Amino acid sequence: MINLLNGVESTAAAMTAERIRMDVVAQNIANAEMSKGLDGRPYQRQKVVFETVLRNQEQIGASSVQPKAVQVARIERDARPPRQVYDAQRGLIELPNISVQEEMVDMIASSRAFEANLAALKTARSMAVQTLSIGKR
Amino acid sequence: MIEALFSQSNYVAAKRLLDLTATRQAAIASNLANIEMPNYKRLDVPAAFEAQLQQAVAEGDTTQLRSLKPVLAEDTTAIANRSDGNTVDLENEMTRMYQNSLEHTLETQLVTSHLLKMRLAITGRPV
Repeated sequence: MINLLNGVESTAAAMTAERIRMDVVAQNIANAEMSKGLDGRPYQRQKVVFETVLRNQEQIGASSVQPKAVQVARIERDARPPRQVYDAQRGLIELPNISVQEEMVDMIASSRAFEANLAALKTARSMAVQTLSIGKR
Repeated sequence: MIEALFSQSNYVAAKRLLDLTATRQAAIASNLANIEMPNYKRLDVPAAFEAQLQQAVAEGDTTQLRSLKPVLAEDTTAIANRSDGNTVDLENEMTRMYQNSLEHTLETQLVTSHLLKMRLAITGRPV
């Protein structure tokens, strides 16, 4: 298949990865105060691990260097210990190892990365439109 | 015979420049996709390609112009200004992307105006 949008594989893969990261952040914030999960333990923070993949089927030039895409390799548990908070009625209780501030920073970083990829996609689109209108006035 | 019309060095060079901007856009898309990846090194078309192109245009060597192909390579001039060894800088990348997009607009217009002039010469009336 011809590829009109340059680098769209990288962009699309990165946008998917950032969306998954955003989902995980939302899950962490939603569970920030959950002291007992189904297993009776406080919720543990989840984090995404990205990895680089070569997505391009079509070689660009003869070079071995190809555009790189990114994908979520795995979602793993953050091993940091749970927060311990003293409660007057219940004594010392364990809360998830989540700092909402940290999650918010992560969310903004993810959102910025998503926007950057969206800008790349828009530029690729406008370049393709111009290329298709070669010879017209 | 008609081949000669499309063999002028400026026209061939404009096509090679279009290849260059298309390849560079792929590199920038890859850089923006990997902006959060530790130890990723930014990709680009080396400046040597533009130098080769310039030389071929100066010499009017159309066979050389036709054989030129932009290839991606790791940008060795970029310095990592972050602790994770990634050499992509968001502002820099966005600026390059807009610059590249403008260059692409210029080159499509160059090619278009060349084709329109040729049509005018053939038909004798402006399109």
